[in-house]
Amino acid sequence: MVMVSTIVGPLLTLILLGSAFGGAITHAPVAVVQESDGQYSSNFIATLRDQQSCQLGGINCQTSFQLIDVPDLDTAQQMLHEGTVRAVILIPSGFDDALAAHSKVIVTVTLDNTDPLSSAAIGPEIQQASQQSSSLIQTSGLGLASITVDLESAYRNVLYIEFMAPGTFVQAIMFVSIIAGGVQLVVDKERGIIEGYLVTPLKKYEIVIGVLLSGVIKALFAVVALFVLAIAVTGIRPMNVFPTPNLMGIALTMFTLVLTALGLIAMMTAYAVRSTSADLYRVTSFPINLTLYYTSGAIYPLDGMPAWMKEIAVINPETYAVHALRLLMYKGAGFQAVAGDFIFLAAFTALMLVLAIAAFRRSL
Amino acid sequence: MQTFGITKRFGDFTAVDHLNLEIGHEVFGLLGPNGAGKTTLQRMLVTVLSPTEGTATVAGADIVREADRVRERIGVVTQASTLDIELSAMQNMNLYGMYYGIPRKQRQERIRELLEVVGLADRAKIPVAGYSGGMKRRLEIVRALLHEPEVLFLDEPTTGLDPQARAAVLEYVEKIHEDHGITLVITTHYLDEAENLCDRVAIVDHGKIVALGTPTELKRQVAGGDIVEAEFLSLPNAVLTELEKSDFVVKISRRSDGLTILVKNGAEAVPKIVRLFDANGGKLRAVTLRELTLDDVFLNVTGRSLRE
Repeated sequence: MVMVSTIVGPLLTLILLGSAFGGAITHAPVAVVQESDGQYSSNFIATLRDQQSCQLGGINCQTSFQLIDVPDLDTAQQMLHEGTVRAVILIPSGFDDALAAHSKVIVTVTLDNTDPLSSAAIGPEIQQASQQSSSLIQTSGLGLASITVDLESAYRNVLYIEFMAPGTFVQAIMFVSIIAGGVQLVVDKERGIIEGYLVTPLKKYEIVIGVLLSGVIKALFAVVALFVLAIAVTGIRPMNVFPTPNLMGIALTMFTLVLTALGLIAMMTAYAVRSTSADLYRVTSFPINLTLYYTSGAIYPLDGMPAWMKEIAVINPETYAVHALRLLMYKGAGFQAVAGDFIFLAAFTALMLVLAIAAFRRSL
Repeated sequence: MQTFGITKRFGDFTAVDHLNLEIGHEVFGLLGPNGAGKTTLQRMLVTVLSPTEGTATVAGADIVREADRVRERIGVVTQASTLDIELSAMQNMNLYGMYYGIPRKQRQERIRELLEVVGLADRAKIPVAGYSGGMKRRLEIVRALLHEPEVLFLDEPTTGLDPQARAAVLEYVEKIHEDHGITLVITTHYLDEAENLCDRVAIVDHGKIVALGTPTELKRQVAGGDIVEAEFLSLPNAVLTELEKSDFVVKISRRSDGLTILVKNGAEAVPKIVRLFDANGGKLRAVTLRELTLDDVFLNVTGRSLRE
């Protein structure tokens, strides 16, 4: 059994991590806001789309982004803030007039730099497309007209180590879940401790919820300690703590951690509740942990993952936990931005809890 | 308490085999060798194992259909310790009291009272990890009494304890029975425990009851009255043949260095046995006369000794 686990772990790492890092960023959603209505702006967008659909020469056919038309800048910025798009391209009003008057125009591209890998891939490609568009316009007779792309960062510079930190917190919760939600349960069963509960009038759900809540408390202690340590040791600077602590931001972060702990512990409890061997449980929980961690976008953005990994990511609770934590820590997001993540995590917890209670046997 | 053809099978193995038993307001012992089915029977009675066939009523409730009511009315001390060793005696008791929904004030009063009974009051606040085996067992016994159960089940309550701790635990069990007057069901493989503590004993073997009654009744069932243990240095076949022919001998069982001879009258039999050895060239090392024990009863019914 140990042999199997020593093979499965590294193999999973190779497949999942290899596939994630090996894939270039593709289809990163980018909002385009067209404030100027005219032939030139339409052509410009068409060039971007061509870039996207690989019709320009077709040599380097892999494009990183996918355009989404958004009617106004406010909506687009909201989408950027909530993480639905990675960048916003603004074609300013007066774009067509200025080009027609043979002058220069500036297109502002606001990048979500809290995702350093995606924004690093998108920015240059948009610039390249605009240069092509520029030269097309110049050859069409507007000699002095040109389009300049101005890349702007929406947030303060986020380091890769900061990008990676939320996933680490989630993984700490997962470690506690494996132990508190599962190992403890299986070992207690082996030791006869559970038999001590079974002879009392305690209900199934009371025992399972007891396991769950005790695990959540342990997970919170672990993850808060890790949060403080990570700030002290690695120098990450979450904006809900620095420069001035934002109580709402901290509360939402704590709430995310609690929901994540509830979901993951309920999941591991459901998994362990029928398990009779602590060894088997330990060996099998290891690949579960790796799979969830690598497909959550914790170390590489989802945009760069192959389709099959994205499918796992969609049902992976860690994806939503990592997403919410990034928004809260580096964008100073409020409740609305993370509500979707909360809903998923709460529904996931409820489902796993029902499974765990249903699977729990009120006898030996 | 009554069982109705209660049966438990694990795959092909029948641990408890269509067992019928009635237990009243008494100290009842389930005696048998390891693997006889005592613990399986008890686990079914305390609702943590469901019977494959048959059922039972405990404290007036059915163990299958009314398991919740059974659980409220019984106290259980399992073989393996279920204490939380990081918590103190007081905290362990308090948690259990909460499981049974005992109101806070009443809970604390009873905890104090019960810890006093088993002599743990002065160490009620230190973590259980620092307790001896006997102290832990005493704590588990009173913890099971916290909700004033009608029946208290004790599964091998003294296994693994040194003689002194055993004596203390048994003393408290006896005291609890006298003070509270509750029904006690004790599984054990210790003869003296069954003999001295229990009003009635069921001897269990291969999932069935092979003998049932008060210790005195059980011993009376064995024909004959006394046991002679004859340890020998040499035992020619002639000795054995002669012994088997003698009318004062009821039954002989042989070990490598001794004979256990069930006789009608011990005082008369001893000189006869000595003479028989002398006359047939056998050499004795020691001859002891003793009263019947429940082991002899077990031996008589099953042909095996509990001590094996």
